[in-house]
Amino acid sequence: MIWVEGVLVSKGAGGVYGERILQGCRVWDPYRSKLAAMYYLGTGPELEPDQIVLYLGAANGTTVSHVADSTAVVYAVEYAPRPMQDLLEVARRRKNIVPIMADATRPMEYALLMESVDLVYQDVAQPDQVSIALKNSIFLKPGGKLVLMLKTRSIDVSRSPPEVLAEAKEGLLAGGMRVEETIWLTPYHQDHAALICTRE
Amino acid sequence: MRDRLQRIRAEPEHYTPAQWDIVARCGIFASRQDYLEMLRELCFSLAEQKIEEHFQRPDIELLQMVRVLDEFDEVINLLTERLTEWYKVKRPDFSRKYRNLPAKKMIAVMRRGQGGVFRAMLDEIERMGELRTSLMRDVSSGADLLMPNCSALVGGLVAARLLSYAGGLPELARLPGSAIQVLGARTALFSHIRGGSPPPKHGIIFQHRRVHNAPLRVRGRVSRTLAAKLGIAARLDYYRGAEDKEFLRNADEAVKRAGEDQ
Repeated sequence: MIWVEGVLVSKGAGGVYGERILQGCRVWDPYRSKLAAMYYLGTGPELEPDQIVLYLGAANGTTVSHVADSTAVVYAVEYAPRPMQDLLEVARRRKNIVPIMADATRPMEYALLMESVDLVYQDVAQPDQVSIALKNSIFLKPGGKLVLMLKTRSIDVSRSPPEVLAEAKEGLLAGGMRVEETIWLTPYHQDHAALICTRE
Repeated sequence: MRDRLQRIRAEPEHYTPAQWDIVARCGIFASRQDYLEMLRELCFSLAEQKIEEHFQRPDIELLQMVRVLDEFDEVINLLTERLTEWYKVKRPDFSRKYRNLPAKKMIAVMRRGQGGVFRAMLDEIERMGELRTSLMRDVSSGADLLMPNCSALVGGLVAARLLSYAGGLPELARLPGSAIQVLGARTALFSHIRGGSPPPKHGIIFQHRRVHNAPLRVRGRVSRTLAAKLGIAARLDYYRGAEDKEFLRNADEAVKRAGEDQ
């Protein structure tokens, strides 16, 4: 990752969402992006220029644009039409984003458009986040990484976040993923945990 | 190519993702660059088609209209309140106490003997009020057309608001009655789920006279019955799209019975 004076940045054409520019680089805000928050907390797999990434829950393409700055190709999956309009606009200007409008709970609907990927990044507000991650791990090369941003409140508001996290870890383990690290994204995001996993 | 792709089904048991070196050996694409460009073109066209289909749904426009209507109300009220404060500065002896002045009358009172920007703003609010009324008519008739059963039960406006909270007609048709009952009472519902506080009896359907006019003792029962019937009505509206007189009669009867003090 690129740091300029202690600030996380990425190199690419600016002006995607009014982000600040620091010494010609795009500032990547940890309060807006969970992925940036994870890097600020000093962990997570590095993004490499030859990597192929599957990004689930691409939304408006804010974080996607930063990921695309640092990797080879990003397959960006989003289901809702409104954010998809914005994502298409971002993808038009960044030639290494492949925008896919599909439901991440049904990977077979976009399987024909996909190839093997080095990294799956998931940030979706769904109760079955773990099962979505496991279903999409078919695209992951053996030894590839999964970064799951667990939104514990989307899984169950009435249970305590650590409890939800423990259950998610068990689910991933049972599905053939090795959970290498978990980290809470406080103070940047409340009740969100990043799970960094490797496909066996 | 787009249509052909949509006919092919992939099955999870037999699926392995494409590898670039195998794709390259097929010899269709001169370079990886070519392949990605083609793929992107296909994905854009698929996504654009899906977005277009979504925005052509008749319920999506109605949903936006009712949201504009509700926000318009908020803006009009906010401005009227603020101008009233301004008026009190201009006329220190003025007080609203003991005079039942709805916003519309208030504007008429304030306009008397005033000129300049103040007066122009009042005129503008009045015009916004007229606009609001015609938008409301559009929403109401739109809802009558799109959801005849729901509109017959609770009126076009409340039906359209339910639609807006659910996010569309198919989404509303898939909700159980218990969810429809508390649509629009999100804060109360979550504070109930997270800890202790009593569950909300009603959300948006409170706006229907049969719920808010019901005596407190039976209000929960009335809104529960009405919501259950609305769940059925939404399904009739979505899957059949025509009014069902017999259902409406029975539903009406059921809601009335729920409101009787037993």
